Amino acid sequence: MARVLASLAALLPALFMASAAWAHATLLSCEPADGSVLAQPPKMVQLNFNEPIAPAVVGLIDAGGRTRDIATRAAGQSVLIVLPDDLPQGTQIVSYRVVSQDGHPVAGSMVFSIGAVTGAAPPATATPLAALIWLARIGVYLGLFAGVGGAFFAAWIGQGPGGFMVSRGALAIGLVSAAASFGLQGLDLLNLPLGGIVTSAPWKSAFATSLGPSLSIAIVAMIVAWFAWQSPGILISWVLTALAMTGVGLSLAASGHAATAPPQWLTRPSLFLHGITAAYWAGALAPLAAMARRRSDDLPRVLKQFSAIAMPLVGLLVLSGLMLAIIQLGSLRALVETSYGIILSIKLALVIALLGLAALNRFLFTPAVVADYENTRSLWASILIECVLVVGILAVVAGWRFTPPPRASVAPPEAPLAVHIHTDAAMFQVLVSPGKAGPNDFVLQLMTGDAALLPAKEATLTLSLPERGIEPMERRATLGPDGYWHVRGVLLPVAGRWRMQIDALVTDFQKITLEDELQVR
Amino acid sequence: MLKAGFVLAALAVGTASSASAHVTLERRQAPVGSYYKAVFAVPHGCAGSPTVKIRVQVPEGVIGIKPMPKAGWTIETVKGKYATEYDFHGSKVSEGVKEVMWSGGKLADDNYDEFVFSSYLVPGLKPETTLYFPVVQECEQGVSRWIDIPAGGSSGHSHDSKTPAPGLKLIAKP
Repeated sequence: MARVLASLAALLPALFMASAAWAHATLLSCEPADGSVLAQPPKMVQLNFNEPIAPAVVGLIDAGGRTRDIATRAAGQSVLIVLPDDLPQGTQIVSYRVVSQDGHPVAGSMVFSIGAVTGAAPPATATPLAALIWLARIGVYLGLFAGVGGAFFAAWIGQGPGGFMVSRGALAIGLVSAAASFGLQGLDLLNLPLGGIVTSAPWKSAFATSLGPSLSIAIVAMIVAWFAWQSPGILISWVLTALAMTGVGLSLAASGHAATAPPQWLTRPSLFLHGITAAYWAGALAPLAAMARRRSDDLPRVLKQFSAIAMPLVGLLVLSGLMLAIIQLGSLRALVETSYGIILSIKLALVIALLGLAALNRFLFTPAVVADYENTRSLWASILIECVLVVGILAVVAGWRFTPPPRASVAPPEAPLAVHIHTDAAMFQVLVSPGKAGPNDFVLQLMTGDAALLPAKEATLTLSLPERGIEPMERRATLGPDGYWHVRGVLLPVAGRWRMQIDALVTDFQKITLEDELQVR
Repeated sequence: MLKAGFVLAALAVGTASSASAHVTLERRQAPVGSYYKAVFAVPHGCAGSPTVKIRVQVPEGVIGIKPMPKAGWTIETVKGKYATEYDFHGSKVSEGVKEVMWSGGKLADDNYDEFVFSSYLVPGLKPETTLYFPVVQECEQGVSRWIDIPAGGSSGHSHDSKTPAPGLKLIAKP
């Protein structure tokens, strides 16, 4: 019996082979030709394959950077794509994924230009979507700071369920907002209407950006904080809430303008500290207010304990904040002249008011409560105003999502982009000029692991932009007299984090493949 | 259009089996220390162009190569030194065929054909690993190189590779 089974098992691969006689579809040609510049906008694009195919996803990103609705039709071995009549002048990109007869998806991209070759501007943000993204961002901040911070406070200092409802509510809002953020950001990336949120595309593309890790960490931190409430022992809830607080810092350090600013060894740790200290402070507010309102007899002890740690932490909070502000602004004038600076100015004003209240609490109201725990009215009122200020600050900070920092706009635009890829087998230095959306020249310097020139027979450059759904475009490099490989005039129609793959054929039977990412401005 | 399309693409990825439209070996599993008939299946040309030459690189540990003659095609082999000496029919061999080449024929894109040699898998090869036979397919226009070997070695192909080298899984001698 076992022998029969074994021989049946041996037959299985053969069965699969039977279906394998089908071929993969290959793109033979397209009209207009890939990379062509046309005087008049074409009515349609035709992709010709070597066998009948079924179109799966065909997308068009126009010269304005917008994703456009298109109608597609398969006609035998061709796909016809009917273009909108109002295509703007400039470079358009058609990205396709088709299914060949053997069921394998085959994907690629082609570009053509109307009038002249351009690089697309970043897509304009639709207003209702922007408002939702902003609200979701505030929600995530509430969950992280008031929610996780509140859980930390309850476990370590409050040692009781003061402000329980507020922290729990903040966690719930935070979790829902974090999940919603994924979908909303994805809609923004792909420029889809709000209804598109029911499809998987926006979620996937948002997950592929730096928001993926950031929001994932935030969600885990909030879930951990949620369960820390119910943990049986104080030790476990200490550990869990400390973990969740670390998650708050990591989540902030993983994404956003500030996290990606050079020098990263400074900005990321600063953001981490900024996040943790902010959560410590913001998380304490609701429980303290609740205790002050109830005139809890435990309040003097809690206040003393909280203030003792709060003083150095607020120092760290201010210091890390100042550091980030200086790096991001570049100059004092940017504080009033750029929208990023104006948001920062408002934040600073709110923070100064908050610090004033905190000082009042520390040096006036706290001693009063310590002296007489019934005397909580002024402390309670002051903490409530603090809460309002904190929400205000979070709302302002969430607005940064829509403004690039001045640092980004003063970066020298003319220096070519250099990417260095290093493995045991080889070392590739890639120069991309100008490194901006539009036509780019690539120089591939192929070297062996010990920096000698790599004698390659062929080199191929493959580029894709997964976050905008642009499938791989393949370009053959030519060997120049300088010993380097060149690909000239590669059209990168939109800015973003492009994925780059370089294949170097070393012998007829061996090639070296290296991959990296390329931030196109 | 986009929505429906996405679901379709997801389905297509899900149903694609490991067997595919690449140049592959007909029998993909064999015990070490035994004879192995390598049959290379060529399902199509290079982007529509007919195949005119097939070159197969023989991996280390595969000896006693005897290509099967094929009407309309000329067989050539490239010989070279092995990394070590092997026992073959009681005698020591230290060199032999490292590459087999069929040329002079013409295989249209919409036809299918097989290219065969017999060989011996030395007992020293490690079971539970995969041996790769890189293949270069030359056509009237263009070349397809079925030479991608996964970085991990024996773990099978990542789905990403568009041109994987045909692989043979080695098993222990029964």
